[in-house]
Amino acid sequence: MKSMADMTLAVKNISLLFFKAASFVIAAGVLATAQSAPQVHLDADGLTPRPIEELTGQTIVRYYALAWREMAGALDSNSAQGLGEEFVGFAKDRLTRRIAEQKQTGLRIKIVDHGHNLKAVFYSTDGAAMQLLDHAQLEIQTFDGNKLLDTQNAPREYMVLMTPGADRWYVRNLEEVSAKPF
Amino acid sequence: MKRTTRSDFGLCKCLAGLALWCVLPGRASAADLHLPATVEAGQAFSVPLQGSGEATFYLMGPDHVVKRTVKLGSDLQIQSSDVRSAGRYQLILCDSACNSAAFEVKPAPPAHLSFFLHPSRVPVHTPNSIDATAFVFDQYFNLVLTPAAVDFRITPASGAGFSRRVPTRRGVAWMRMDSTPHEGRVQVTAVSGNVQEARVVQQVAAEACALRVKAMPSGNMVTLETDPVRDCSGNALPDGTVVSFTEIDREGKSTVDTPIKKGVARIQLRVHGRAQISVACGVVEGNEVAFHGKL
Repeated sequence: MKSMADMTLAVKNISLLFFKAASFVIAAGVLATAQSAPQVHLDADGLTPRPIEELTGQTIVRYYALAWREMAGALDSNSAQGLGEEFVGFAKDRLTRRIAEQKQTGLRIKIVDHGHNLKAVFYSTDGAAMQLLDHAQLEIQTFDGNKLLDTQNAPREYMVLMTPGADRWYVRNLEEVSAKPF
Repeated sequence: MKRTTRSDFGLCKCLAGLALWCVLPGRASAADLHLPATVEAGQAFSVPLQGSGEATFYLMGPDHVVKRTVKLGSDLQIQSSDVRSAGRYQLILCDSACNSAAFEVKPAPPAHLSFFLHPSRVPVHTPNSIDATAFVFDQYFNLVLTPAAVDFRITPASGAGFSRRVPTRRGVAWMRMDSTPHEGRVQVTAVSGNVQEARVVQQVAAEACALRVKAMPSGNMVTLETDPVRDCSGNALPDGTVVSFTEIDREGKSTVDTPIKKGVARIQLRVHGRAQISVACGVVEGNEVAFHGKL
């Protein structure tokens, strides 16, 4: 009888542990909006030095997906007007410059976005900055006018720095990095 | 001995044709684009282009796009200003067909620090109460992802300074420390190579310690005055900190909140008969005094 009780307790403990571990993996990132924002999945397991709150995770996912949707649209149309407030700082400066120079040279980029797996790697204790590593599946076509110059279809990795605003998270830095573990 | 069959002969012709096609002047194949795998941000380099004639050259980086006509058979100069942003760059060369290759621009050595110190005010002697986070950027504001050492140099208002060396991980170094025992400015300077950024945290007295009040009669009134209000490390609580005096007499209970002025809190109360008076500051309770009023 005692062993049965022990077993029940053990099962309860295992279930609790599983819940605790799984609760850090926020899979709320599937955004099936009409504007076809890409799928973003956030894994915040083991995030240091501060753990992530669930609502923060959902907000990160939402605005990172929006950022990619807007970036893809802007690079295709060569218009920075479509860029909302998702990019700030260096990320916005660089993207705006890139779009202007694309327009000047007649180039444009079409991104077919197959989704992003975000891994949160640093969240400052004051909540002022979060660093994420994005494993993205992208198909990138380069056009000069209407002439297709090149198609790249390979996994990409991006180092992302996001900072919070009043009601959203902004992409402050977005650097493509080689697909090597850090 | 193997005999050459009709089909072998056809294959040979095909390979010979392919070889001839490859060496025709004016063709630029992917193999012609001898690019370095990685380049440091802001470093110019050249790409030898084989063949002859002209081609259109495209370079696409995170914040820069170049399109120009180049002569094959010469070196293609990539200017330092073309590769300032870290990330993946794609180079495409087109004549009758297009070939592309990619290279990665790595950040240059550390040149800027983005440094956060949190919080701006903190009570003295509090464990793990100060957080310092430094992001390391190069001169073009690329996050330097290769490990670098950041020294956090702590200079308290009084007492000896000390420092902690923290290696960056993915461009970020952070540390957490206790506040020091004495109130005043504590400067924390993040240093990486020749770059440094300083921030200041104001340490303030912690909760009051050994709070004491004394009662001095004056006619129908009683003057209540605390000893100088200090924390357990001897730091004076700042003027403006509220001290609460509570008096219970035959008329009931009354509480008066008053700010500390010049280190002490002082009030005058009208007391009806026998009264019990206590003092508190924040979560700390002080002593109690009994008093017999003349009213």
